[in-house]
This record gives sequence, C-alpha cells and structure tokens, in this order.
Amino acid sequence: MTLKIAFRNIFRQKRRTILTALAMIVGFTLSSVFIGWSDGAYSDIIAMFTQNRIGHIQVHRGDYLDKPSLYKTIAGYESIGATIGNVEGVEAWTPRVYSAGLGSVSEKSTTVQIIGVDVAREVEATRFDREIIDGKVISAQPAREAVLGKGLARNLSAAIGDELVIVSQGADGSIANELYKIVGIAESGDDITDRMACYLHIVDAQELLVLEGRSHEIVVIVSNINRVHKITKGIKTALDDSTLDVAPWQVVAKDFYRAMQADKQGDAIGRIIIMLIVAIGVLNTVLMSVLERTSEYGVLKAVGTKPRQIFWLVVCEVLIIALGSIVVGAGLGTAGNYLLSIYGITMPQEFTYGGIKFQTMYAEVNVRSLIIPAITVILSSGIVSIFPALKAARILPARAMRAH
Amino acid sequence: MANTDVIVTESITKVYGGNGVPVEALRGVDLTIQSGEFTALVGPSGSGKTTLLNIISGLDTPTEGKVWLSGKLLSGMSGNELSDFRRDNIGFIFQAYNLIPVLTVEENVEYIMLLQRVSKAERHGRVAAMLEEVGLAGFADRNPPQLSGGQQQRVAIARAMVSEPAIVLADEPTANLDSRTGADLLDMMSHLNVQTNMTFVFSTHDPMVMERARRLITLKDGQVESDEIK
Repeated sequence: MTLKIAFRNIFRQKRRTILTALAMIVGFTLSSVFIGWSDGAYSDIIAMFTQNRIGHIQVHRGDYLDKPSLYKTIAGYESIGATIGNVEGVEAWTPRVYSAGLGSVSEKSTTVQIIGVDVAREVEATRFDREIIDGKVISAQPAREAVLGKGLARNLSAAIGDELVIVSQGADGSIANELYKIVGIAESGDDITDRMACYLHIVDAQELLVLEGRSHEIVVIVSNINRVHKITKGIKTALDDSTLDVAPWQVVAKDFYRAMQADKQGDAIGRIIIMLIVAIGVLNTVLMSVLERTSEYGVLKAVGTKPRQIFWLVVCEVLIIALGSIVVGAGLGTAGNYLLSIYGITMPQEFTYGGIKFQTMYAEVNVRSLIIPAITVILSSGIVSIFPALKAARILPARAMRAH
Repeated sequence: MANTDVIVTESITKVYGGNGVPVEALRGVDLTIQSGEFTALVGPSGSGKTTLLNIISGLDTPTEGKVWLSGKLLSGMSGNELSDFRRDNIGFIFQAYNLIPVLTVEENVEYIMLLQRVSKAERHGRVAAMLEEVGLAGFADRNPPQLSGGQQQRVAIARAMVSEPAIVLADEPTANLDSRTGADLLDMMSHLNVQTNMTFVFSTHDPMVMERARRLITLKDGQVESDEIK
C-alpha cells in the first residue's frame, strides 16, 4: 500500500514531479557526459602514451627502470620475446637498445639518445612508421641508417640524406663511433623525446655499443589495456626469471599515471558539485511536498500508520522519481556520449598532456558513465529525502490536522 | 477502574503556548466513559471539546494528567505503540472527512485492515459489507474528490468502523453536512452503536447530535460544567 500511495502521489502533483525529475535528469545526464568525455579523453591519452611510446608492459633486467645502465641487458631477448608472445592477451612485442651519445651533422653536434629498434617488430607494435613525417622508416635489414626526432634534426640542421656521426661508449669500454645516413625525420608527439631521439636498426645499435644479441628493454603491447595487470602476471609466470622485471605502464610511467589519477580526482569533485546542486533542488521540492501534505500525514498517523511507514512513503516517492529519471538520463547520457565519441570536441588551441599533443577530445560510451551517475542520483535523492521523511514521520497528528 | 470503563481521564490539563502567551485549553478534566455509550461532548467554541477528543485518542498529549483507554495508560506508550493502539482500538471520524485523496473509496476503507495485516479475502468481504451498510455499495472505485460531502463522510464512517474498534471518536462529524444528510448519518451511527456495542464519543455543537446522544458532557472554559445521562 505504501508503494501504491507513493506512486499515486507522484502523479497527483505532476508539475512538482516533473520539476524534481528534471533536476535529477539534468544532473544524471551532465554527470554521465562528464564521465564519458573524461574517460574517452583519458583513454585517448593513455592509448597514445602507451601504444605509440612506452607500450603497455615493459621487461627489463633488474632495476634498469630506476637506475638505467648500459650493462643491464637482457641476453637472448629473441627467445624471451617468443615466450612473451605466447602469453594470452599479448598482441606484439619489440626489443629496444638504449644509450646516450654525441651526434654530429657537418659542424653541428649535440647529445642524442640512441634508440635501437627492431624495425619490423616496432612497426607492428608501436606503429613507428606513422611517426615518420619526412623521408622513410629505417630499412628492415641493418644498413647504417638513422631516423632523427624532429627537434634533433632541427638542432643539427640535418636533412634527409645527410650523414650523422655518433660517438658513444661500447659495453666493452671502447670508444664507439660510426657513420649513419639520415633517412627519415620522426615526430612522436613528445617534444622532449623528439629533441634527442636517434633511431637506429637494433643490429646497428648493438654493433655500435658492443651488445650483440642483447637488448635493454622489451616493450609489450596487449590486446586489452584493461587486462594489463593480469597479463603482466601471466608474463612473469611464463618467464619465471627473478632477474627480469616485468612492469605495467602504470609503473613504468609512474609520474604520468599519478598526474592522471590526480586529474581524475579533480573530475570527481566536479561531479560532486553537479550532484550537490541537484540534491539541493530535490530537497527543496520534496520539502515543499511534505509541507503541503502535512495534514494528510497527520491523518495517516491518526488511523494507525506507524512513523516508519510514513518515513518510507516519502523516501519511496523520491526514489521512484529517481529511478524514472535514471532511465531517461541514461538514454540522454548515452546519446550524448555516442555523439561526442563520433564528433568529439575540438579545442581552439592544441594542448599537451604527458608530453602528448591533443586538439580534439572524444567521449567514450561505457558502463561507468551510467553506473556512477545512477548510484549518485539514488544516493543523493535518498539522502536528501531523509530530512523531509523524518519531518513527516515525526508529525504530531493533532497539530498536523490543524494545518489543513 | 471498572471493566466496562473504556475511557478514563484523570486531571487532564492542556496548556498551549501560542505566541508566548499560555492558553489553558483544558483544566483538570476527570471523565469516565463506559463501553457502548453514545456520548456527546458539547460546549461553545474554545471550550476544549476537540482538544479533549485529541488527548483521549492519543493524537495529542496532555500537559498534565493521565488517560486510560481500554485499561491502557496512553502516556506510557511509544510512538509506534500509540500507532498500533489507535489502529486496533480507535476509529476516527473528522469534520473535514480526511480521506486519503489518492486512494479509492474501497482502498480508503480497506487501509486500516491492511495495516492490521487482515487477509485479502476477509478485507474485501468486510469492505463490501461496510459500504453496503453506509449506502455506498456502487461507489467502491470512485476517488474521494468525486463524492459529495455526505458521501465522503459515509466513507469516513465506514473506514472508522470496518475494523470494529472498541471506540469511535467523531469530531464535529455533521458540521460540513446539510441537516438531512447529517441526520441520516447520525441515525446510521446510532444504529451501529446499538448493533455492535461500539462506544461513540462526539465533539459537537449540533443539536441533532445532542438529541440522539444518551449522555451529554458539557465543557466550558476547559472544565466539565455538567454531565447528564438521559
């Protein structure tokens, strides 16, 4: 009977019900689009940051990640890579060799970061070829070719076809130096990387640094980034080598990850503010409704309705409106996120996040953008209905009926 | 207290503190009403009739004094216990009918039995019989706003009596009705009183009620001025 009365009361005051529902629907939709858009933007950032650069998982020798060293290498990386490739969820893997050196073109010199890549695997894993903005990618077979980052090429005034001399230190302690032909200019989207990156074929880099058959890093790309922790565990189990460190991207790029988490918390504050405004609106209309029906609550109590039954009557009315609003809000929120996932929002100016440049942000249609607003609407409506419900439940029947 | 005493009040005082000026609505009212009585509380406006009725029913609390209903002391009961006690022992008829507007006639009459968890079959049987009794057999599916004042008061009477309470308290039940409708309803209540031995207590100015009442308790300035058994 409580539900029946609650339902009928909702339809009795249509204008107030519509007003209350509108506040909830607007709050739900805003919150849903807010989540969908920020999730979409973060997914894009993570995808670009991981897929194009650091990968989803990295494998290193010991504490290379914290204290990089030329000597901390992975021997037999081909067989290790093959084992990794067999782990469920792994899509691709690619080895890399790193070192620092001095790069010279004609009379200009600067420090460079030598990055030795297995071209075929790098293209498959990180779409390295898409970063080439001038010239071509390094040949699949070692041919003493180099691709320079855009900033580095600018600093060295280097052009396609120029010769690059690299001087570095070999793993055997010798002075390493070699001549390379510049075949391409790359733009990764990260200015800092592009000011120093000098890509060589991994075999050329190994020869230069006297690291034959060794790499410093194996980058792993997974098919579903949401399963990265599980796949990391799977790789650890498959390798069964305590000297190898297997780390997901959240560990590899700790600072980036923490900055993103902090940003997300900031978004949560925004959502709380939206729901607070909605809650105040709902509280106002529910309180008005209770005040208008003071006499009715008095009668209900007079004929034997318990205070707690009256309490639930008020709460039920609010929750029924909330449920209806969630259904409508879910439709609007999903439609909004769907449209934003196709057309996105283009910022007037390009901006950089984690060293990656963006201009258009796309939304994402996901369950989170429906579940979180739904829980928030139910909780905030439930909480704001408590005060009016208690007020109705505590009414003194004689005084309430005098209010008629 | 005799077994037949259904309402006993002892030195009931009620002081309202409106606008900082205390107003004494009742001043030491002692009253005993026995089972099956058809009693009217009469007196001029402001004499304390409605206040006394509210205190007797537990709808309001006295400033001082005690009330026993069917041998139970009301002041010792919690809010929930009072609700249960009213639900099971008291039927109310109000001047403004006070039906639940979103429920149909049938649902209004059925409501108290739902609170009492009476089975569906029994509820429907008793509601049908009661609506027949008050002359509203064909009005079960109507909503209160679709009824006349007299019809709404009949529904209120049916609601008050359908659960067969020991006491029916009626506050100015004929005040909003024309004299013919009022007389009909009073005859009906008088008939039910005789038929069921329920105790009826009215608060009224209406000479028709006074005429039919078998006991007249006159209040003046919050005190019992006279108590006449016909």
